[in-house]
This record gives sequence, C-alpha cells and structure tokens, in this order.
Amino acid sequence: MNRPVRNFIRAESFPLLVVVVLAGAGLAVLRPEFTKEFNLYVLLFDISGSMLVAFSQMMVIATGGMSLAVGATGGLSAVLAAGLMVSYGVPVEVAVVVGLLAGIAMGFANGFLTVKTGINPFIITLATSAAYEGTNFGITSSNPYYDLPTQFTDFGQARTSMFPHPLLISILVAVALGFVLYRTVVGRSILAVGGNARAAEMAGIHVGRTIVIAHVISGFLAALGGLMLMARLGNGSPTIGSQWLLPSFATVLIGGALLAGGKVSITGAILGCALLALIANGLVIFRADPYWVTFLEGALILAAVGLNQLRSTSTRQSIRPRPQAQPMPATK
Amino acid sequence: MRHRSRAIDLWDRFGLLTIVLVSWLVFALFADGFTSDFNIFSVGRAVAVSVVIGLAQMVVIATGGMNISVGAIGGVSAMFTGWLLEGVGVPVPIAILGGIGMGAALGAINGILIVRTGINSFIITLGTASVFSGLMYVVTKVQAFRNLPPDFIDIGQTRWLGVSPLVWAMVFTCAFLWFLYRGTTLGRQMLATGANPRTARLSGVPVNRIIAVTHMLSGALAGLAGVMLLLRIGSAIPTIGGDWVLPSFAAPAVGGTLLSGGVVSVVGTFIGGLLLATIGNGLTLLNVPSFWVELTTGLVLLLAVLLDRARTLAVLRSRTGVQQPAASAAAKVEM
Amino acid sequence: MKEREDSMRDVGRPAGTSNAADDTSSPVPQPPVDRDDLQTPALLEVKGLRKAFPGVQALGGVSLRLRAGEALALVGENGAGKSTLIKCLTGLYQPDEGEMLLEGKAERFRSPQDAFDHGIAVVPQERNLVPQFSVGENIMLESLPKRRGIMIDYGRVHREAQKWLDMLGVDIDSRVPASSLSVAQMQLVEIARAISRESRILLLDEPTASISPHETQTLFSVIRALRSRGVAIIFVSHKLEEVFELCDHVAVLRDGRNAGPQAAITDLDRNQLITLMVGRVQVVHELKARTDGHGASLLELRGLTSESGAQDVSLTLSRGEILGLYGLVGAGRSELAKSIIGADRVLSGQVLVDGKAVRITGPGDALRHGIGYVPEDRKYQGLIGIHSVMSNISITIWQKLQNLVGWVGGRSERAAVSPMVGKLDIKTPSLSTAVDSLSGGNQQKVSLAKWLTAGVRILIIDEPTVGIDVRTKANIHDLIWGLASEGLAILLISSDMPEMIRLADKVAVMKGGRIMGILTNDHDYTPMSEEIMGLIH
Repeated sequence: MNRPVRNFIRAESFPLLVVVVLAGAGLAVLRPEFTKEFNLYVLLFDISGSMLVAFSQMMVIATGGMSLAVGATGGLSAVLAAGLMVSYGVPVEVAVVVGLLAGIAMGFANGFLTVKTGINPFIITLATSAAYEGTNFGITSSNPYYDLPTQFTDFGQARTSMFPHPLLISILVAVALGFVLYRTVVGRSILAVGGNARAAEMAGIHVGRTIVIAHVISGFLAALGGLMLMARLGNGSPTIGSQWLLPSFATVLIGGALLAGGKVSITGAILGCALLALIANGLVIFRADPYWVTFLEGALILAAVGLNQLRSTSTRQSIRPRPQAQPMPATK
Repeated sequence: MRHRSRAIDLWDRFGLLTIVLVSWLVFALFADGFTSDFNIFSVGRAVAVSVVIGLAQMVVIATGGMNISVGAIGGVSAMFTGWLLEGVGVPVPIAILGGIGMGAALGAINGILIVRTGINSFIITLGTASVFSGLMYVVTKVQAFRNLPPDFIDIGQTRWLGVSPLVWAMVFTCAFLWFLYRGTTLGRQMLATGANPRTARLSGVPVNRIIAVTHMLSGALAGLAGVMLLLRIGSAIPTIGGDWVLPSFAAPAVGGTLLSGGVVSVVGTFIGGLLLATIGNGLTLLNVPSFWVELTTGLVLLLAVLLDRARTLAVLRSRTGVQQPAASAAAKVEM
Repeated sequence: MKEREDSMRDVGRPAGTSNAADDTSSPVPQPPVDRDDLQTPALLEVKGLRKAFPGVQALGGVSLRLRAGEALALVGENGAGKSTLIKCLTGLYQPDEGEMLLEGKAERFRSPQDAFDHGIAVVPQERNLVPQFSVGENIMLESLPKRRGIMIDYGRVHREAQKWLDMLGVDIDSRVPASSLSVAQMQLVEIARAISRESRILLLDEPTASISPHETQTLFSVIRALRSRGVAIIFVSHKLEEVFELCDHVAVLRDGRNAGPQAAITDLDRNQLITLMVGRVQVVHELKARTDGHGASLLELRGLTSESGAQDVSLTLSRGEILGLYGLVGAGRSELAKSIIGADRVLSGQVLVDGKAVRITGPGDALRHGIGYVPEDRKYQGLIGIHSVMSNISITIWQKLQNLVGWVGGRSERAAVSPMVGKLDIKTPSLSTAVDSLSGGNQQKVSLAKWLTAGVRILIIDEPTVGIDVRTKANIHDLIWGLASEGLAILLISSDMPEMIRLADKVAVMKGGRIMGILTNDHDYTPMSEEIMGLIH
C-alpha cells in the first residue's frame, strides 16, 4: 500500500467514513426506494442544513465552551427575516442580511456575557436561549409566517437532480471554516484557547476577544442554518431550531471533537451529520417508529464520547497547568 | 467596606424573600383572582412541583455536576406510573413508589455511567436524556394515559389539613434534604465532593460512590416530581418533562446554590421555586401568553447568576483588597 | 521571641546594613554594592520590590541589577520568593511597592504580553503548551509568520521552529503534536520558544530540572552565545554547580528579601553561597530529645513500583520515627506518597502495615489502616476553602461520629475538634470560619489537624512549611517533633534542607523515582547537607 493511501486510512475520520458508507450502502441494497432521486435530495438537504448547525456548535466547542442557544438563535433569526419579508414587504436580500446580523448580535451577546461575567457558558446560554425562544414565540404569537416571497423559497427548494442548491452554500462554509481554523491566526487562536487557555494567554492571545469571536461566528452560522431551512420549508415557523440542541452536540462529538476544546474536525462533523441523516432516513424508509431517532441520537453521543475518551486519555496528562483562579502565594 | 459587607449580609438573608413578597403584592393588586382560594390552592400545587424539580437538580449541582435528564426522567416516571395504574392496575401507593423507583433507577444509570467513564455529567446526561425519552416514546407509541383511577386523581384534588398532599410531599422532601446536608455524613460528604473533589478524595471520602448516589437521588426526586405533576394534571402525557431543564437550574441558582458545587441552600431553592411558580401563575392570570414565562424565567436566571457573581467578587475584593481579573478563559463545565 | 528571630536573620548580612527586618512600614531598598559596574549602565534594575498575599509577605523589599551580556543567578530556598519575583518581572503579578527600571526608565508590566513587548522572555517552571498543536506552532505561537496577510505560512513556521530546535541540539521534528512529547522534550521546546523570541532579557526558571546533562551543556553554550550578543540572562536554579559554571553574578533571596548584596560569583564559594541561602542553622530552641529506641515497624515498603513513577522503593517507618524523604522537584516523592495511600495505582511490590501485607484501595482505606496524608498543595488538595474550619477537620471522622441515621451531632463534633484546635494552636475567629480566610500557617495546621483527629498512627507530610512565615514554621516543626514523641510514625517529604536536617532521624534521598540511599541524620548541617546533595548529583 503506498503512502497516501496509508495516510488516508490512518486518518481519524476514516472509521466514521466507513460506517457512513456501509450504512448508505446497506440502505441502498435493502431498500431500493433509498436510491430514488427525491429521497436522496431530501437526504442531502437534511445534511446541508445540519452541517451549518454542527459548525455553529463546533466553533464554540473549539474554545472549550458550549452553546445551548444554537437552536434559539437560528429560529429567532429566521423568524425575524420572515416577519420582515411578509409583514413589511422588505426585499429578500435585505431581510436575509438582517437575519444574519441578528444571528451575529445574539452570538455576540452570548460571548460577551460569558467573558465579562466569567459565568459558565452553559448557564449563560441556557438563559439566553430561553430569552431568544421566548422572544421568537412572542413575535410570531406561535403562528408561522406563511407566504414567504417566492424568490426566497425558490432558492431554498432549487435542485439539480438530487443536489440541492443550498448544499453549495454549506460546502463553501465548510471550506471557509477549514481555511480559518487551520490557516489563519484567528482560527488558531480559537483552537489555542480551547487547547490551553493559559498558554494562549501567555502567547499574547487575547482570550476574551477570541471567545467572543467564536460565539459571533457561531451565531452567524446558526442564523444561516435557520434561513436555509426556512427557505425550503416555505414558511417562517417559530419551531425552527427547537430540536437542534442534541444533534448539534451529537454530530460534532461523533465527528471527533473534544468537548474540552482545542480539537475539532470539520470532515468529522460532516460525516456525523451524514450518519444521523442516514439513520433518520432509514427509519422512515423502514417505516419504523420515528422516535427511534431520539433514542439513537442519545446513544450515539454516548458512544462517541466514550470512544473519544479512550482515544485521548493518554494525551491529557502533564501538559496543562492546574486551573488557578487566584494568585498563589510563593512556592518553590 | 463595612457598609458593603453589611449590605451583602442583608441581601443574603432577606433579599430573595423580599422579591417574592413584592411580586405577590404586585400580582395581588393587578391580577384578578390571584388571591382567590382556588388560585392559592392551584399555585400551591404548581409550587410543589416546581420546587421538587429544582431540588432534583440541586442535589447534583451540590456535588459539582449537572443533570440534563431531569425532564426525561420525570417524563418516563410519570408515564410508567400511568401505565402501572391504567395498564396494569396496581394499587395507588405501589404505583407511586414505582414511579419514584423508576426515577431512581434511571438516575443510577446516569451515576454509574459518569463514574465508570469519567466523562463529565453534562454530556452523559444530555445523551441519556434522549435515550430515556426516545425509548419511552417508542414503547408508549406516544399514547397518553387519560383514564387514571379516581382514587389516584383524588389525591391531586384533595386537601390534607388545608393544603394539597403535593405541598406536604414537597415539605417533607425539603425537610429531608435539609437534614441531609445539615448534619449527616452522606450530605456532608456530598458537599465536600462538590466543593473540592481532590481534597475530598484524599481525605477518605468515597467520591465515586457519592456521585453515583447523588445521581440516583436526583433521579428519584425527578421521578417524584413526575408523579406529582401527574397528580396535578390528571393524565399521563408523554410531553411531561420536556421543559424542565431551565426551571431546574433557575430555582437553585436564584436560591443561592453555587453552581460550582459545595454549597447548597434548600430553603433558597424552595424560595426560588416559589418565585418561579408564582411568576408563572401571575403572568397567566394577567393573560400574558405562556411563552413570556419562558423568557422571564431565562431573564430571572441570568439576573440571579449575575448578582451572585457580583456578590462573590465584592466579598473577595473586601477580603484580599485585590481586583480579580476578568475571566480569561471560558469557564469549563466540570464533572 | 522577636530577638531570637532577628538573630537568625542577621546571619550572612554584612555589618552596617539595616536591621529593620520586621519593619513593614518603611521599605528598605538595598542598593547592591557591585565593585566593577559603575561604568556600564544597568539594563534592568529592581529596587525594593514588595509583594504580599493574604497571610504571607512573599517579597519584602528585593533589589537586583542586571547588565547586558551578563548572567545573573537567582538562588534561594523554597519559599524565598524567587517565583514571585519572576512573576513580577514577567507581568503575571503586579508588585505592591518598589520599582522596576528598564534602561533607567520605570516600567509596570500589566500582562505577560506587556513584559514581552518590553523585551523580557521567560522559560517558565511549568509547561505551557497547547497539546493539540504541533511543536513548531507552539514555539512560534506568539508570532506566527504569515503569507499574504492572513494566511499562516506553515512552511516558514516549521522551518523557523526547526532552526531553534536544531540550535539547541534537540532531536524533535517540529511537526509532531506537543502531546506526544516526553517531559524533558517539552522543557526543551519551552526553552526553544523563549529563545526564539530574541528578547533582550531572558529569564530561565529551573530550565534544567528535567533534561539530561548533555542537553544541559548544549543549553549552556547557547546561553553563552546569547550573552556574547548582549542578551542579559537571569538564571534560577537549585543546582549550585550550574550556577558556578554558567553565571557571573549571583543574587541570593531568603524569606522574601536579599540575603546579602548581589555579588560576583568569583567572590563566593559554594559553602558561602549555601550559608547565604539558608543562614546558619540557629535553632530557636533545642528540641527535646526523643527516645531513640524506636518502636516496631509500622509501615514497610518492599520494592514498590507505581504507575506514577515510583521505582522499586523499599523503606521502613517505625513507631516514633521521623523518616525524611528528600529530593528535587520531579523526584517522585509525592507520587510515592500517593501510591502508599492508594490514590495512585501500585504496579508491583508490597505495602506492609504492622508487619502484615495489605492492599490499600484508596485514601479511605488508608485511613482505616491508620495512614494519613497531608498533601503538598494544601489549597487545592488539602483543604476545602469555602467550608468551615470545623468541617475541614472533622471530615475524616464523620463516619465515626455519626449515629444510627447517619446524623453527626454538633456537640460531639465540637468535642472532637475543639481540643485539636487548641492543641495545634490554630488561630481562627471561630470554628465556623471559612478556611480560606486563615493565614497559610493556620491553614496548614488545619490540614494536619484532620488526620490527628482521626487518630492516625502513620502520617505522611508533604512539604509542611512551603510559603509559611518563619515563626509558624518553627511552630509546625515543634508540632511534628512532638507528634513523633507521642509515638506517631512520620514520613516527612521536604525540599527544605535545614528543615530536613533539623527534624529527621533518617533521610531517604530520592531521585527519578528511586531511593538513592538512606542516611542516618547526625543533625550536623554542613556534612549532612553535602552527603544528601552528593546522593542526588
């Protein structure tokens, strides 16, 4: 076996790729409906949406934090855009931009509160997600905005055979994130803060600012995901994003990211999305109870972190300094 | 400096209670029917459930972890009880114990997973929440139990010495936990584990066992809350527990339980649950749409932790005379 | 009492300098009397630096002077203040009083970045690497070379990093992840990183603690090359022979102050240096003689090898005996202690209590066998800061005190804890005061008290007096001595040589996880300390 192939096999995401391929192949063989064009289209659209959700969570996990507000951010952004388009006749482009800006603002709020108060991001985003979700239902009075402009929904529903056009956006985002995280100082700073915040600080990285930037990107991506989903759905429903919490963690962790931060995998996250989408799709095709999805998502998360744990225990040992919040008196 | 610490002391003791009383006053003045006998009875039952949900989370926070599956466990326990009553036909006390027992068992699963794998409790319970709920949906085919036996439903409607049995259950639970943390070995070992697990371990505290027991206790309490809610609404529907996570954190946080662990306030969690349920009730009577309650809860939680943080900083500053640096790293989720 | 302390302090200080040792109201800056310096201006000057923490005056007026191209050694015992001084110089701490002058201009460093911008780089004592990043990226983390504005040029990152690694003679590929390195390799990477910053002043804090002699020599030649280019070096080390080999000036710290003026290395010999560091061991009062007929063997280790690094350790601890365990940082002493109590896994060998082989499964089990461990890190492993004095002391006896339902009565708890507080003379406003508001010395006593309340017969004490003031230090020494007189078997882990020689009956010397030898202590400082050091180097 020559070198490139061996490296490919040894890549961390390889086992996951195998699982995904096998799952897909298995479905195709067992149920020919799987390979029907429309079904594949639905599958791929599913993935393009969940990719954005995964990336949104991934950016925050990279810094060692988490966001419970990914769904609420996406939902509120989408609904805001919908409201503007439907109730105020705002042009589509403007509404979309406003929606994205809203996502950025919500992400900024999360990051800012986390950094300035020093409170656990879990609690901060728990509170803000309630606030965003409440506002969402408040604006819509629990009723969806129907009759979104066709210019908007046409793009959302456009496809070439089985390839949804929005998938292109998600792929572009994936490439852009890859570039940022592995090639730019901003991205490396985000990962450095997650890997060892103390070392990052000592190297001159502004930890607080980096965390806020990660949250802002996260908010933007969540908003993008919400808008994309809404474009296909055809109406601005307040329930957009309400079920994103678990999958956002599941896909990222299955993909090989470390919850403690410092290490993420974009390809892994995409494969994680693919896996979950295949499972959901498979359940439909097999006419099994759709609630198995909930169960499987939970089981997969547990399996994924369990495996990650086995993989990374040996490397965590002596490198990190002890967490110290207060100055210590002189020792050795 | 002395003024500041005096203010902190006063706030500690009376601040929260003052807020509750003020909110009662406001609602009594502006919300029709707030002070009616029926409403007080109704709020009482809501408070009871709210408090027990908060306690279920509080015991885990005390040992430095968290339990995202409180709602899932509550839902499964409620459905289990419903099934025992309607599907199998066991006597009411057995069904109630069965519900609580189911909660304890699910909590024990959480505890064992956390201790065996060493993975932090956030992720484990996030995963088990879906596992528990998912299995429940599949097994029950999302059907509700709407024909519960009358002697069960009566418990939810009746009064013992003027208040609902649910309130008594809450009082008993609060008293039990208060004693637990006040002076029993188990309770103190739990607090030690939450405050500083390394020290606790080196001092001979069986930290792993404590954590497992804690989660089992949390599950039992969540199960109890599920049964109580069942009594309150009269049918076992599968969506029970779906929205418990936020209030389960809000009540203890508002009440002064440190989210980092090691310090609990049973009384505080009680007042927190009281506040949250009261606000919910008051807003409903004011005909405010129900989702505003969620928004309010979130804001109350945020305010509570911000105040607590400001308070901690003020205490530290007055002690060391040093300005604490703003948090430089994202506060990590532990255990 | 006060006079005795002053007389202790006077040792080593030339006549004529101020005796205001305990006067904290007026700082006494000590201008160094360096004979051959008046022409060359100082690159860095520190005057009368003071820094206090709750309960401890870590720096009580320290001064030093550094010129370009010079290597200044900074030596002193543990707790002397070296670490604090370094942290002030590198922007991690802000000094309370005093001045830091760079080329004559007074500066304040508000952050590590700030210090670096002023030309100060440091090789810290602890590792600070991002485990998931490559070695090269870690080295270049402060200033990642970019191509076309925002894209990081990894080719250049690795080329430059490799350059520095090669200069140090280190055989590591800069592309490997930092997590795959050994401790020694990580230290070398830290050194490469500091050197790569090409600053005017380079601080090295125990840089040779984990590296081989060969690598040390390469490091020294690099340092000499830097010196010839005008870089000023501050070198902190316990290894005195390195100090003599590499440096031309030395500043000695003792108890947070300068112990004597900054001197040229040629003006001192090793013994004088040690004397300056520790002061002549003037015992405040003689410790009462203890019966030398030690009792039965309470704890015996046979060929103990643990997961954490102890290698084939054998020793015996008898009733009424104080066995010292001496070694440098990283020798594996705390790891050995943790293996004994079951907190770290034992791979092979035996532990015998009262002559019977036992398997200790954890600290709770150790407690049942009568073994207690007072950890080195009292703040994070020995105490629960936010809990009360009472709770911290009674934690080991809750199970003993509880009644049928598990309730621990307040009265019985108080009855068990109060006498101990009195016996150890723990100064606290009340038993319900939170432990983190006590002084360091009293905190240490609390950490000790919890085991005494439990009635352990074997006590392992790890660095009992680190960061504690002199008076309480003597206090704790008396305590430990007294406990041995009462029949406790004590394993005393310490890097404080005078403490070791004062208290221990025998001294086991540990290096790299192994026992290098066990010496009988004749309590005569100079020969004993040399014999001990001899076993290490």
